[in-house]
Amino acid sequence: MPLFEPDFLTRLEYLSIISKRVFRGSLLAQRRTMQLGSGIEFSEHREYAAGDDFRYLDWNVYARLGDLLLKRFQEEQDLHVYLLLDCSRSMAFGNPPKFDLARRLVAALAYIALADLDRICVLSFADGVISEFPLTRGKARILSLLKFLESQQVGGADTDLSRAVQGMLHRSRRSGIAVVVSDLFDEHGFQQGLDQIRYRRFDGHVLQLYDPKEADPAQLGDVELMDMETDSLRKVTVTERNLRTYKELFQTHQRSVREYCRNYGLGCTQSPTTVPFDALILQMMRKAGLGG
Amino acid sequence: MSFASPTALALAAVAIPIVIFYILKVRLRRVPVSTNLFWKQIYDEKPPRSIWQYLRHLLSLLAQLLLVVLLVLAVADPSFSWQLLQARRIVAVVDNSASMRAADVKPSRFEAAIEAALATVDGLRFRDEMAIVLAGTEPQVVIGMSGHVPTLKRALRSIKISDNPTELDSSITLGQQLIGQHPHGQILVFTDGCSGRGAQRGRESFSDERLSIGEDVSPKKTPDPVDSSVEYRLFGHQDTNNIGITQFQVRRSLVDPLGYEVLAVVKNASTQAVKGRLELELDGIPVDVLPLDLKPDGVFKRALEKTSLEGGILVAKLTEINAADEVGESATAKTAGEAQLNSLATDDQAWAVLPSREIQNVLIVTPGNLFLQKVFEANPLVRLTVQREFPETWPNDSIIVLHRNIPDKLPGGDLFIVDPLNSCDAWEVAESIANPIITEQDKDSPLMTHVRLDNVLMPQAKQLKFAQPPRVLAGSLSGEPVYAEVKRSGGKCLVLSVDINEGDLAFRTAFPIMVTNSLGWFAGQTGELRQSLATGSMTNISLADADLRPAGEFLLRSPAGESQLLSVRGNRSERQEEIDPQATFVAAEEDPYVSIPPLGACGVWSVVRGSSEEATQPIAEIAVNLANDWETDLRTPGELMKEEPHTLVAGWFTRPIWFYLAAAACLVTLTEWWLYQRRVIA
Repeated sequence: MPLFEPDFLTRLEYLSIISKRVFRGSLLAQRRTMQLGSGIEFSEHREYAAGDDFRYLDWNVYARLGDLLLKRFQEEQDLHVYLLLDCSRSMAFGNPPKFDLARRLVAALAYIALADLDRICVLSFADGVISEFPLTRGKARILSLLKFLESQQVGGADTDLSRAVQGMLHRSRRSGIAVVVSDLFDEHGFQQGLDQIRYRRFDGHVLQLYDPKEADPAQLGDVELMDMETDSLRKVTVTERNLRTYKELFQTHQRSVREYCRNYGLGCTQSPTTVPFDALILQMMRKAGLGG
Repeated sequence: MSFASPTALALAAVAIPIVIFYILKVRLRRVPVSTNLFWKQIYDEKPPRSIWQYLRHLLSLLAQLLLVVLLVLAVADPSFSWQLLQARRIVAVVDNSASMRAADVKPSRFEAAIEAALATVDGLRFRDEMAIVLAGTEPQVVIGMSGHVPTLKRALRSIKISDNPTELDSSITLGQQLIGQHPHGQILVFTDGCSGRGAQRGRESFSDERLSIGEDVSPKKTPDPVDSSVEYRLFGHQDTNNIGITQFQVRRSLVDPLGYEVLAVVKNASTQAVKGRLELELDGIPVDVLPLDLKPDGVFKRALEKTSLEGGILVAKLTEINAADEVGESATAKTAGEAQLNSLATDDQAWAVLPSREIQNVLIVTPGNLFLQKVFEANPLVRLTVQREFPETWPNDSIIVLHRNIPDKLPGGDLFIVDPLNSCDAWEVAESIANPIITEQDKDSPLMTHVRLDNVLMPQAKQLKFAQPPRVLAGSLSGEPVYAEVKRSGGKCLVLSVDINEGDLAFRTAFPIMVTNSLGWFAGQTGELRQSLATGSMTNISLADADLRPAGEFLLRSPAGESQLLSVRGNRSERQEEIDPQATFVAAEEDPYVSIPPLGACGVWSVVRGSSEEATQPIAEIAVNLANDWETDLRTPGELMKEEPHTLVAGWFTRPIWFYLAAAACLVTLTEWWLYQRRVIA
């Protein structure tokens, strides 16, 4: 079964239209920066000073009050969207694998951004950045992006989000939106990577995927656990008590992700792989308010 | 300890692969997980701390080895020597006689006895064996020695209450034979103590004296032998009262062709004086009502003479039973009092079969003999015609009596030939016998019932040389038949070779009785008396007069309407196929008959021809009554109630060892599954 089906682009276009309606023109390309400049969105008044451009004097205020006030506007600029796709081998878990849903999500987010005239950059990572789809803009690039995503394979030694974020920061000249699509099973801790995103003033968003069997495993008895990322084997006897502990640990991990994002203002979407990607996109955008 | 299947111990080798598999853990499932992040925290950060978690694998192995050991031992079926030595052989003698219907023990004596027997079966230990014997008229082994509790319970529940009398002694004897010389043998008698021992004697006395009236027919009690291996479980009370009909018979009168005689005996088996009525009905028509006034343990005996041409079913009923001092009380009080005085309904009604009488046409061809003519004329059932010469055609519907002159070829139909002068196709007349003395008399033949010829003066008789050997009813000292039944295919034939003009036979009472017997024999009546049988009796019904062509099946119908197929005995039905239809005479043979099995219910039984669905006229009817003093007397003998029976309850170790081993194996399996395997299954 191909990753991107023939109607995938149609669904992306539909998703793009829906997102525009939902966010009512608060599109990615019209995001206002904190810099004041030549935008059309009024920001504030300030007193006229010698040398200011007369064109920005507010003559209506001068007529009513007799004060010379200068109108200031927010400057608009293109938004850079960095999509970090987790290509570690843990993403191959599940049926269908988490990696498939992750690639569809990345494609959908990229399409929406490209349709809004934003620039996107896709970085696949595991224990570091494995490959990169460089910054680009325009809907015409979507096919190239899809080919890029199709060519991605799970691999790498282990998940290391911190190194991946470092690789992204080295490549980016400006900040923007950084969306991490991953299961966040990082033995080094997901916080370090997200901290770097935060420190560099990126508008961060976490899209965490998990398989239902990861949340609720059923294996009992004497089993040999094989870590898909490290291929390490471990002979254990799984008791019901162990299973309960596992579920508690998993929920604790999920909860820690949510709390981190909430505490530091990052968008967070956690979803099992059973949710369709388009529904998940809408859910994510509502939560994070990516449209502004 | 010994093993029934020691070779099964070799199955213990199964433990070897179990140990090997446990050591190698070859069956460990490989489960891919996306990350060991959480599993590490479980197993590394929280290492097992208890001894149990260190030993759990070893304990699992030990549990499985224990399971194997238990199963192997169970298959090997071990046993201890003391089990064999202490095994018991128990015979349960169950009384299902009529007296067990009494409800003085709730719900009834019989049901209480069955429940007690079931409790005894529950108390059987492993290797104990039990047999169940039914104490009916004839002891019957319901099930032989068996230790299988469900089978024994099924056998007990299959026992039905009957109207039969009890025969405890032979049942106990049979039980002793079943036990043999076993050191732990025991006979448990579940009864009400109304033993059939005396009843048997009573029956014998009835059989001997037939219908002699006026003698005390009550059987005498005989104590049971003291036997420590016999234990009585009694169900009943010593003060249970009952009144019942203990004998009821009817027979045709010997002197009055239309008359019949009734014998009724009623016993008051209670400690109170009782008044009541004995009502007699013949085919639903009241015949007589006899008042009863019986003292405690009193017996009412009465012989009645009545007349009836048609015959039918005579029924005697006990009604209006009251204590002698309670006459005149209200109806409710009467009913309650009757229930207390009369605890058994089975003996409150009795039946008897009265054979019917039919008018017979008789043609006498005689040169003249007034005695011969008058003896037939005196019979009200005879329509007589007298001729001196042979008729041109012999009538088909008449009994032909030929006196002295007989044709060369005997006519068809029923013939009674007296003093033949000339020969015919059936015999040749030889020299006369002077002063024949009757020394031989067929007592079994209905033709000779109540006839004694040994002291009759007969100066002369004819010596007849029969073509076929006849059945001699009366013979002389020299062996010559004087009165004989000639076998032939054309009809029945009797020959009396005595010259009734001489001698005093015609003056004797025996002569009209002989004629009456012969008329009854020609009419197919099997006898004057159709005895009412006691329950549990067996009898034979002769089919000599029944038309066996086409040969069909015969059914016995119970009073409740149930049918049972009967088998025809004797060889007539088989031989008739071989008989030459042209032959006039056939050899003497045994009459065919049907053998009636034990009649276990009171009422009128009937033998019918054809399938059970057809409502055919019965060939014969048999009245069956309880007619047993001991069954009527419901008072449990006190001497048997003195000893309190010890309870036969088994301890906790009632099952074979393999059962406990298997149960332990199941327990170990459940435990091991709960602790280990259920995770794998899940």
